[in-house]
Amino acid sequence: MKKSTLLQAVKQLVCIAMVLVVLAPILLTLFAAFKTKADMVNTSPLLLPPFGRITLENFQKVLGDKYLMVGFKNTGAILIVSIFFNVMFGTITAFILERFEFRLKPVILALFFLGMLIPSFVTEIARFKIINGLGLYNTLGAPIVIYVASDLMQLYIYRQFISTIPRSLDESALLDGCSYFGLFVRIILPLLAPATATVIIIKAITIINDMYIPYLYMPKNKLRTLTTFLMNFANAQQGSWQKLAAGIIVIMLPTIVIYVFFQKYILAGVAAGAVKE
Amino acid sequence: MKSLEKQKRIFIFLSLVIPMALLVGFVVFPAFDLFRMSFTDWDGYSATWNFIRLDNYISMFHNENLWQSLKNNAVYFFGHLLFIPIELMFAVLLTSKLRAAKFYKTMVFMPYIINGVAISYAFSYFFSPINGAFDAILSAVHLEALIHNWLSDPKLVNFVLTAVSLWRFSGYHVILFMAALQSLPQDVQEAAQVDGADSWQLFKYIQIPSIMLMVDFVLFDNIRGALQVFDIPYVMTSGGPGYASSTFTLYTIDTAFKYSNFGLASTMAVAIMVMIVVIYVVQDKIIHGLVLRRDKE
Repeated sequence: MKKSTLLQAVKQLVCIAMVLVVLAPILLTLFAAFKTKADMVNTSPLLLPPFGRITLENFQKVLGDKYLMVGFKNTGAILIVSIFFNVMFGTITAFILERFEFRLKPVILALFFLGMLIPSFVTEIARFKIINGLGLYNTLGAPIVIYVASDLMQLYIYRQFISTIPRSLDESALLDGCSYFGLFVRIILPLLAPATATVIIIKAITIINDMYIPYLYMPKNKLRTLTTFLMNFANAQQGSWQKLAAGIIVIMLPTIVIYVFFQKYILAGVAAGAVKE
Repeated sequence: MKSLEKQKRIFIFLSLVIPMALLVGFVVFPAFDLFRMSFTDWDGYSATWNFIRLDNYISMFHNENLWQSLKNNAVYFFGHLLFIPIELMFAVLLTSKLRAAKFYKTMVFMPYIINGVAISYAFSYFFSPINGAFDAILSAVHLEALIHNWLSDPKLVNFVLTAVSLWRFSGYHVILFMAALQSLPQDVQEAAQVDGADSWQLFKYIQIPSIMLMVDFVLFDNIRGALQVFDIPYVMTSGGPGYASSTFTLYTIDTAFKYSNFGLASTMAVAIMVMIVVIYVVQDKIIHGLVLRRDKE
């Protein structure tokens, strides 16, 4: 009995240490965001300023920046369109690959596997030319088409999910005179709703957090996303950590909020993608 | 019957045509195009270019800064490799009987979902030489002697960035290991405990073998991830000072978009792809060989 109590205590200590490590950089940034310029020097970086000197001016500065709203709008637009197509193409492709046998299937599977293996950042060197050629440079179309075409994790989630749906369901629907399209839209798609929730949330986080594609393809001010807004904001605040700290917190918040509310779906989907085939 | 077969074919074709076109046009074709570009001196905007045979490959192999960058990648790889036992320990800990396990699980994965650019700036502040929090922590525990210029000392900077990478990505592996552990049938573990197995034996003989496949995936993810480290050094140090914290991907991207040498950059991109594929194949043979042998015993 005594031994197990001791063990529990050690376990708790280890976990608390982990929580401290996870929270430290976030909390210390939050502390800085509440400080005036003078308090950045006068109070320890490990502490909040005295209560009376807590300031909201750094947050006001970030929230008052007109490009923050631009960033929210653009990120929102990219999210909605990309995720819509990701779900549409992801569900139907997974359905076909799980349920049908046809001559080209091995080729198609190989292409998707190749697509997963190809490293994303360096591919932009060749993709840049294609995006440019299509006139998508400096438009919201660039990130949308890239996210829809190249982010393939939803296939794993959907294929795994479809394999748990009994095939007899397909057969009886087809016997009842349902077309293949009808079978997909009326029977399979609704059953995939839980998987779709996972896909939507994981994609939303990935897209909100992505820096490189918007940075590379949309240098225009009007096309800032949340992340590229922060990069610009950071460059403008050279050395003024308290203002940048407020910007960091504001940009972190959306994904943290999504995570706290929907973590069940996120944790369900993360492990599904971990298959090498 | 024949019409049903035809209907099926039309359905398959219509369903796959757009996703396949996107995949080929925006992923597969660019990857092959990199091979072609790697034999040219294209600058990224001119209408013409020259075919220069293997010149890019030769200059890549003689590029010391690129080798330095690759060494930096290796530090990330070994850092994450050394963390696998710790990640495993946390996975076992969080799946065991533990108060507030759910809260700890939320916390352990949180760094992974946080905006990478935002957290990179947060760590720049954390390690900053003036009023930085890390130095303040060191002073608070009377270790002032250890204070360094964390982000501008060429000997240290890459290790500091590796630590940031560990902070960000380790939780992902913990969650993966937890998923693998939880997929273990509970009755096997209980039977072993009834037979008198202690928790170390349980771990060694039951949990470890059954999560070997996940270890295999995490290893591959480490290699792929380490080769592709980009946004942490890009935001925090731009690869500096000099090339002290540059990485292979960062160097490649700069070669293309900063120095307009798309030909040479394509060559480096080909090198990354080749490395990933070779490691994938080799690791598949070795690890699967090991797992299979153990199964036979």
